[in-house]
Amino acid sequence: MTSPILRIEDVHKSYGALQVLKGVSLTVQPREVVVLVGPSGSGKSTLLRCINLLNPPTKGRIWLEDQEITAPGVNQDRVRQRIGMVFQEFNLFTHLTALGNVMIGLVKVRKMRKNEARDLAMFELERVGLADRAHYYPAQLSGGQKQRVAIARALGMDPHIMLFDEPTSALDPELTGEVLAVMQKLASEGMTMIVVSHEIGFARQVADRIVFMEGGVVVEEGTPQQMFEQPVHERTRAFLRNITR
Amino acid sequence: MELLQDLLTTFNFIVQGLWVTVSVTAVALTVGLAIGLVMAVARVYGHPALQLAASAYSVVVRAAPVIVIIFILFFVISRYVNLPPFWAGALALGFASGAYQTEIFRGALQAVQPGQMIAARAIGMSRLQAIQSIVLPQALRLALPAWGNEATLVLKDSTLVFAVGVPEVLRRAQQVSARTFEPFLAFGVALLLYLALTLITTQALRWLERRYRLQI
Repeated sequence: MTSPILRIEDVHKSYGALQVLKGVSLTVQPREVVVLVGPSGSGKSTLLRCINLLNPPTKGRIWLEDQEITAPGVNQDRVRQRIGMVFQEFNLFTHLTALGNVMIGLVKVRKMRKNEARDLAMFELERVGLADRAHYYPAQLSGGQKQRVAIARALGMDPHIMLFDEPTSALDPELTGEVLAVMQKLASEGMTMIVVSHEIGFARQVADRIVFMEGGVVVEEGTPQQMFEQPVHERTRAFLRNITR
Repeated sequence: MELLQDLLTTFNFIVQGLWVTVSVTAVALTVGLAIGLVMAVARVYGHPALQLAASAYSVVVRAAPVIVIIFILFFVISRYVNLPPFWAGALALGFASGAYQTEIFRGALQAVQPGQMIAARAIGMSRLQAIQSIVLPQALRLALPAWGNEATLVLKDSTLVFAVGVPEVLRRAQQVSARTFEPFLAFGVALLLYLALTLITTQALRWLERRYRLQI
């Protein structure tokens, strides 16, 4: 048994009186693809933001590989470099081209030389099939293309794990396929991924494990087969029946 | 023929102040830009104490008539440090413009989508790096139209340094008019010079705006 890449232990997150996460524990193995599902407000996105410390947990501990990243004194910027994040709204840097979006982290954070950074950025754009759009600005790209650039930008930092926060929810239906295809390719290359998504086809085909959250806790988890065919909890059953219908 | 001769002498005398007007304006805008950027970042991203200091500066300076700030620098501060009239005037204008520029850049910083900062942090940038490389470049573009307006206002406010004897366009116009008793000619020439400067400034800034427009 290999050691887990990510270990979340009893994580709580509150905003004032509002408790969003009420004790979530989750362990992710290297190369594993975990799909997080659950009704809106169940805490899925908050959990992702806790993992990369954009919103650190109010209680509980998280380990990334051998390091406890919630420990005091940890360099959070360094931690985030190892965790790629893809957002529902893409959040591409609007003043930079596709290439510039991928390059800037390489130059500013990984301190690479411009030429080196350009080559690697082009390589990452090729990986998501967008080398021919390198010099386009975000406003000139379709939603699907923007999201693929965002994936390339995250990949450029050479992350050990990738978090996807509803990566296809802001896309027109005919554009989700190209993004899911890139994610599927990443999974097959062995990238460890946690994906918040209601794309059932993707979950069935690509996920190693599906985690169902509701009300700030993990209700049930299992393989896609278990979860879709014989979920233990009535709430899981009801939710999955709703989104697969 | 005599009129043309008068016009030429008047123009030749006043136009020597053009460079002073341009210099005062350029110094004031540059000083104001530096102050405005620092204060705006302090206002939006600073520690609460820093935010308070920055907004206090902005409120107090915007409440003070610019001429009062010029007099303070010229009559009070210059008692302690050697400040020639040109620098007292230009720095006072810059100090005043800094307050308005603070507001311009504060608005622009706040208009940048919050997702930009979040995405920058997510790839491992520090807060400062994210402000420098992602938020500020976008905010500067958003600020350009309002900043261009401020530039034309400072250009016109540069006439105020006349009060401390800086030989800029207006002061020279006044000198000519006192000598020739032709105020219409003198101030007419001054007016035309300001018009020309304003047109050049606005055109240059419009070009910048087009060149760096953000597509959203």
